[in-house]
Amino acid sequence: MTREKLFEEITEIFRDVFDDDSLVIVDETNADDIEDWDSLEHINLVVAMEKRFNMKFNIKEVGELKNVGEMADLILSKMA
Amino acid sequence: MNSYRYDEIDIGKEEEFDVVVTGEMLDAFGIITGDVNPLHTDADYAGSKGYKGRVAYGMLTASFLSTLAGVYLPGKYSLIQSTEIKFAEPVYIGDRLNIKGEVTEKNDTYKLIFLKVTIRNGSGKKVCRGKMQIQVAED
Repeated sequence: MTREKLFEEITEIFRDVFDDDSLVIVDETNADDIEDWDSLEHINLVVAMEKRFNMKFNIKEVGELKNVGEMADLILSKMA
Repeated sequence: MNSYRYDEIDIGKEEEFDVVVTGEMLDAFGIITGDVNPLHTDADYAGSKGYKGRVAYGMLTASFLSTLAGVYLPGKYSLIQSTEIKFAEPVYIGDRLNIKGEVTEKNDTYKLIFLKVTIRNGSGKKVCRGKMQIQVAED
């Protein structure tokens, strides 16, 4: 999967979790940019990504992510 | 009280219990929440609206989902993260409710269980249904 295609899918997940079709997700997007991105929604995002991409994360690796770009890189590394 | 650990719970696991709704429960709920809507407090008013008596607060019915998670599934180690509920039918004083949860999904990363929940009255009619997301806490 290309990074561009992955971002399309990640954007879809964000829009679904936050119920907001206007969300625009870029590499630098982090919890400061989305008002409802709290610890619970963070869990829901990770769970949704695990399901969509059929992979498992561990708490440590998702806890170290600083933004969506790093999440995308993590997903791509697991797909490789 | 049950005290299931995450690894002891499989998809498909079910737990259920029964409870009878009383007038005292409605009174207490009204005092706690301040919801004095006459549909719940005045049988004559409720009757004039086509109901056969005081209608139990939907949130009172739903409050038994707290017991389902906190006492039955998973029990002691329950941390409720979210609940989605729909109120399908009215509940009345004297109704015997059956509250049931079934595990439909799990998430190993966060040790979450997802429940399909249903509450039925004594006639077997579904009065409330929904979903719960619960974390099973570690020590």
